Amino acid sequence: MGPVPRTLELFYDVLSPYSWLGFEVLCRYQNIWNIKLQLRPSLLGGIMKDSGNKPPAMLPRKGQYLREDIKLLRQHFQVPIEFPKDFFSTILEKGSLSAMRFLTALSLEHPEMLEKVSRELWMRVWSRDEDITEPQSILAAAEKAGMSAEQAQGILEKISTPKVKNQLKETTEAACKYGAFGLPITVVHVDGQPHMLFGSDRMELLAYLLGEKWMGPVPPAVNARI
Amino acid sequence: MGPVPRTLELFYDVLSPYSWLGFEVLCRYQNIWNIKLQLRPSLLGGIMKDSGNKPPAMLPRKGQYLREDIKLLRQHFQVPIEFPKDFFSTILEKGSLSAMRFLTALSLEHPEMLEKVSRELWMRVWSRAAEKAGMSAEQAQGILEKISTPKVKNQLKETTEAACKYGAFGLPITVVHVDGQPHMLFGSDRMELLAYLLGEKWMGPVPPAVNARI
Repeated sequence: MGPVPRTLELFYDVLSPYSWLGFEVLCRYQNIWNIKLQLRPSLLGGIMKDSGNKPPAMLPRKGQYLREDIKLLRQHFQVPIEFPKDFFSTILEKGSLSAMRFLTALSLEHPEMLEKVSRELWMRVWSRDEDITEPQSILAAAEKAGMSAEQAQGILEKISTPKVKNQLKETTEAACKYGAFGLPITVVHVDGQPHMLFGSDRMELLAYLLGEKWMGPVPPAVNARI
Repeated sequence: MGPVPRTLELFYDVLSPYSWLGFEVLCRYQNIWNIKLQLRPSLLGGIMKDSGNKPPAMLPRKGQYLREDIKLLRQHFQVPIEFPKDFFSTILEKGSLSAMRFLTALSLEHPEMLEKVSRELWMRVWSRAAEKAGMSAEQAQGILEKISTPKVKNQLKETTEAACKYGAFGLPITVVHVDGQPHMLFGSDRMELLAYLLGEKWMGPVPPAVNARI
């Protein structure tokens, strides 16, 4: 049967562009490496607050650098990522609370939909510069991902329940306990030790830790594991 | 004769651990890729001041993360890098002004020594593997006294300002000109992206040794 797959937890927020890049890389490798990818929707704002950190874009030169970095990584990672026209309003003011609660509810009820709906939310905010805060916006993403209108509405109705609010809070706290000061973080357990890796630029190091082969951010497609 | 080598400028400070990692990777690849590596000693403190940034270790969780990151990268990059016993005193208080002026003077007088001496300085600050590496404090002091000239001070200032003009908010930065456009890449974790920009092959941080270019 082969060795037990290693569990990787990816903590992410759809507000975070580097989370999207890390997410796509791990989604590609989940069918190549001997891993089990667990998606953990989290709140970047909560992590910033708890760690005392600030969004990098608040420092002008970092903000400028980010823009150029994302442009280059778009090509290198082959992810259609683009800065929204009004970055401050979209990312720093409007936020992603409802979207992340929706994904949290999904993780409890339909975890098999988590990957596709997360992607559609990123496509809205970080590719087509579309809203993700209004209920209709979130429903549109869910339906584009293949959920029926009824299913999506059912999940939406749960986002303000204590159960979902608490789960998002707990996941965010779990990220903080692993030492997060931003997102994405990837947590892998190797030889009984948890290793937390920050950023979309630690995937080659992750491969090294796992004893797996790194083939760049766009590995050649291989037969999916059965 | 083949295409003209692309010039890469590496701006670095021996105070910066990630600068050492980026430096070693580029030193390895300078004999593999069609590049000309220009080392540009700079002052991290000056870049922090000019950009309004702070050393990441000043945020507790980043400081904790740094320690673990460096431990892992030590193995992955095969560089004998270790946190100094008293990190705050070494890095944040003592600084590296004399060392970087020394390297600046070298860059003006003996640029062919820049790679080796930079490495020895990193070994002194960032590795316990080399207690007696490089020059003794007396030797260094003697040389320093000969080079604390306005010329050297100004050169270091100018190099640091050049890094700032490229948009630096920390070190290391690698600047490469591709199709007439300068691209500034920050960190020791953008080398694979650099390879992509150059159309070169990335073989990880420890590429197999190949015959040096003649």
